[in-house]
Amino acid sequence: MDNGTNSTNGTFEGFQTPPAAPKSFWFGLLLPTLYLTILIGSLYTFSSLYRKRLLQKAEKLEPWFPPHKQRDIYLSLLHLDPSEASDSADGEKKLSKVPDSILKAALLKRAVEDIQRIVQLRSSKQALQTLLQRGSVGDELWQRFLRAEKETEEEVKDVVTEANAFAPNWGQTIFQSANEINQNFILKQRTAEIQAKLESEKAWWESKRAGIQSDFMKELEEEDKPVGKPVEAGKKKSGSNDDDAVLVDAGGPAQAQGANGVKKRKSKKGLGA
Amino acid sequence: MDASETFTLLPLTIDPATKALASSDPSLATDIDDLNKLHRAFLALDTPNQVPPPPAPVNPKRSVQINKLRESGNAAYKKGAFPDAVKMYDFAIRMAAERPMWEASGLVREELANLYNNRAQAWMAQSLWAEGAVDAEVSVEMKRVGNVKGWWRRGQCLKEMGRWEEAGEWVRGGLEFERAGPDKAGVGELEALGREVEKMLESGEV
Repeated sequence: MDNGTNSTNGTFEGFQTPPAAPKSFWFGLLLPTLYLTILIGSLYTFSSLYRKRLLQKAEKLEPWFPPHKQRDIYLSLLHLDPSEASDSADGEKKLSKVPDSILKAALLKRAVEDIQRIVQLRSSKQALQTLLQRGSVGDELWQRFLRAEKETEEEVKDVVTEANAFAPNWGQTIFQSANEINQNFILKQRTAEIQAKLESEKAWWESKRAGIQSDFMKELEEEDKPVGKPVEAGKKKSGSNDDDAVLVDAGGPAQAQGANGVKKRKSKKGLGA
Repeated sequence: MDASETFTLLPLTIDPATKALASSDPSLATDIDDLNKLHRAFLALDTPNQVPPPPAPVNPKRSVQINKLRESGNAAYKKGAFPDAVKMYDFAIRMAAERPMWEASGLVREELANLYNNRAQAWMAQSLWAEGAVDAEVSVEMKRVGNVKGWWRRGQCLKEMGRWEEAGEWVRGGLEFERAGPDKAGVGELEALGREVEKMLESGEV
């Protein structure tokens, strides 16, 4: 009976529980689902937020190079419609499109800029790697560098395809030409820098020479009467190697203006003594 | 974010008659100028596709002309007409500097080093030390090794102007570059100049 009572009890309880049993079943299912959704949802939001922030950070990283102006010029030219842009100038003579020669020139300029960038990247890579290993610079800088490297590589490929589109096989030589242009440019810059000093050097030398000459004249006047001999002697003592110098110079390029040169040299000696 | 797929459209216009570019943006002026210059050089090309040839073999015409000018400069120098020599070298230098930009820079370097060196010598013959010093410096800048004469000339000019310390430093630098060089006589001269300057500096007269 125990069983019975139990069962009755059970049924009785069961009688009451059946409405509760499905409830607890759904309730039991609800909890884990809730748990799972909250867990997955929070994980998802975290990861998406984290990724977004990373992307934002990467985007915020300053590009290694300033904007590529030559590339912009070239692409602007490609998209330029001269018949539209120049109709204000004169009506009868319109270009149907930008001449190829200009585009080629612009492309070559773009290649030159790329070469300059490549040179810069190559020269800084080694140093940057060392600094990174030592921990002197942050990872951010390295990320920026890698991005610049990748971009430049793509840019080079792009230029080569464009060049091949203009003339077969130009892509193989365009960067050679660009490199020479870059070298020649550096050459000219250095020459101009040095030549720019010419005027100031000339002026300096003129004034110095004038100074030496006037000093010499003054000294001559002073020397004439009272202290002719001692000064002369002093000059000889100290000036033995200077005399050698005079000999060497006179043998050299100074034949053209003998008198002037000798005067100058004497004046130098005068200054020394 | 992807910079390779976007570009900034620049305000450019093109003159239909001259085909010269112009821009309303003043910051682009120098770039546009360069581009127009390069464009004119392109138009003068007579290669099949009107693209610059590879840099290696250059157009020999210009080299011949430069050589001619240099020869006449040398002849004038030998005759003692130094101002004429300077003028000839001047023309030759201009000619060499105006080579198309894409021609081999090594060649330009060599030519200019030689011409500036000669011009420095012509200045020195007229006792124009300042000019000589500057030209010799350019020559050395173009060609550091195997240019004993250039080193010597600037050293000599500095010495003549009484800039002993500078001269000493310069000659020391030159010897560093040239000592192993093939031109033994030249190195000897440079060493002699160095010794002279050294002695002068040691004697404390300057």
